[in-house]
Amino acid sequence: MDWGYVESNVDLIVSKLVEHLYLSIVPILVALVLAIVIGALAVRFPKSYPPILALSSAFYTVPSLALFVILPGIIGTQILDPVNVIIALTIYSLSLLVRNVVDGLRVTSADVRQSALSMGYTRTRQLWSVELPIAMPLIFAGLRVATVANISMVSVGALIGVGGLGELMTDGFQRNYLAPLLVGLVLSVALALVADVVIVTLQRWLTPWARLARQA
Amino acid sequence: MIEFDHVSKQYDDGTLAVDDLSLVAGNGQITVFVGPSGCGKTTSLRMINRTIPVTSGSIRVDGEDIAATDAVQLRRRIGYVIQHAGLFPHRTVVDNIATVPHLLGWDKKRSRSVALELMDRVGLDPVLAKRYPAQLSGGQQQRVGVARALAADPPMLLMDEPFSAVDPIVREQLQDEFLRLQHELGKTIVFVTHDIDEAIKLGDKVAVMQVGGTLAQFASPAELLSHPSSDFVAEFIGRDRGYRGLSFVSAEGLPVHESSTVPVGASEDDVRRAAGGAAHVLVLDTDQHPVGWAPVNGRTAVVPERLLDVGTTFTAEQSLRAALDGALASPTGEAVCVDADGRFVGVVNHAEIAEHLTTHRPRRAEGQAAG
Repeated sequence: MDWGYVESNVDLIVSKLVEHLYLSIVPILVALVLAIVIGALAVRFPKSYPPILALSSAFYTVPSLALFVILPGIIGTQILDPVNVIIALTIYSLSLLVRNVVDGLRVTSADVRQSALSMGYTRTRQLWSVELPIAMPLIFAGLRVATVANISMVSVGALIGVGGLGELMTDGFQRNYLAPLLVGLVLSVALALVADVVIVTLQRWLTPWARLARQA
Repeated sequence: MIEFDHVSKQYDDGTLAVDDLSLVAGNGQITVFVGPSGCGKTTSLRMINRTIPVTSGSIRVDGEDIAATDAVQLRRRIGYVIQHAGLFPHRTVVDNIATVPHLLGWDKKRSRSVALELMDRVGLDPVLAKRYPAQLSGGQQQRVGVARALAADPPMLLMDEPFSAVDPIVREQLQDEFLRLQHELGKTIVFVTHDIDEAIKLGDKVAVMQVGGTLAQFASPAELLSHPSSDFVAEFIGRDRGYRGLSFVSAEGLPVHESSTVPVGASEDDVRRAAGGAAHVLVLDTDQHPVGWAPVNGRTAVVPERLLDVGTTFTAEQSLRAALDGALASPTGEAVCVDADGRFVGVVNHAEIAEHLTTHRPRRAEGQAAG
């Protein structure tokens, strides 16, 4: 391992790490908001769910590299624009999260729904303060999977020139030079682990009742 | 007061769930809707708070047609308790109870203090305030459900099989406490159950419904037991309705008579002398409380451990059913009558109770037939 590489490229490595984080987290946040909106509509209008599910499964089967390459042609962006990666990963994350949001919103039992309605909740308020909180454990489970998947997929973006830590790896391959490859690899794995720990911590803090329910 | 005026409910698929229902649930009374599944009792209940719309006819709450009210506001004025309690799993007990105050925009402090007060009222230990529903027993959850319905002090309560998901012992306890609570609060309550015993125990008036959503009979429990209006009602009430009807006949007037007794510690001779030929003698403690029956063939002095169980005692304020129960459970066939403080008054045997019954049959009582 050539530590000299690390020393002389600290700025580059840090900027790629930040870029990697940015490219993987922004799609998660956008997808989460969209998934909640689409999921709530799918629960309210059950007939809309099968086509939504079919569409999201279809998107998920498109290889990421193909999507990165096709997107500029479809939405008219520059081939090297980071927006391509962000949009592609948003689509993947959304495909994953919509299912979890819908399943989560369906966790609320008929008794709980009926009592919320009967106590005078409006529909919107019931969604926000009853059904969505109860859906949290499943939504968080989806967030963990989507986040880790994104962190690994961002590296593929390096093949079209926008790939965060993946660019260090392609650099290593092209120059047949181990150091940048190892740095990219280790940091992306570390990033995935840290992101997962952060999400789990957040989940425990936000849904203390879910853990207690399991013990009881 | 809740009035049903020719109310019908037909679902989109054509099913007639409720068919021309007219009745009045009186102020401060418990009106029970009872019937087999599919008789429209829950549908009728849910039409009151407009969680199910009526197809035809009208429902008036305190004279106001509910169709003209804002549904959300209406619901916040009517307490609601459901089977399995329907508690919010993500909220603590105290926050669950404070749900409606929270919706009405009360300040947090006031909602909390009301919630804690209600926990005490329904018999929940305050240490449970911070627990989540999943950490409670079924009975405790149901108490939280009742407290939650009472939180904003609504004049009316709708209760949909609130006690049917708990075991029989807890159910009976919840029913007794519910009656005690209602005695203090005097709410106007509509209560749905499939259990006729529960209906008879809790209802001031009982509406028996049958499949197809028609009202078979609307009457007081005593009237229902003594004069079922149709074969359906008679069959639904069950075989021992005659016996259960005794619950509504006072034990007052029974020919309770003296009986010789012995104190705890009496000798064998005392027992034999007091018995005067009978096989058993009643033993009283120093406060005149019955402790058991002493068999006359005893070879030792009367000690409490050697006695036969006294069975269930009854007071004159209780029903004939309590007296008959006491006689049937007693080893001597004699029911022991006590006063309000549990002191011995006299005995009456089952032959005497039967004799009394032939002259004091449950009459067509105060309940009036309707529907």
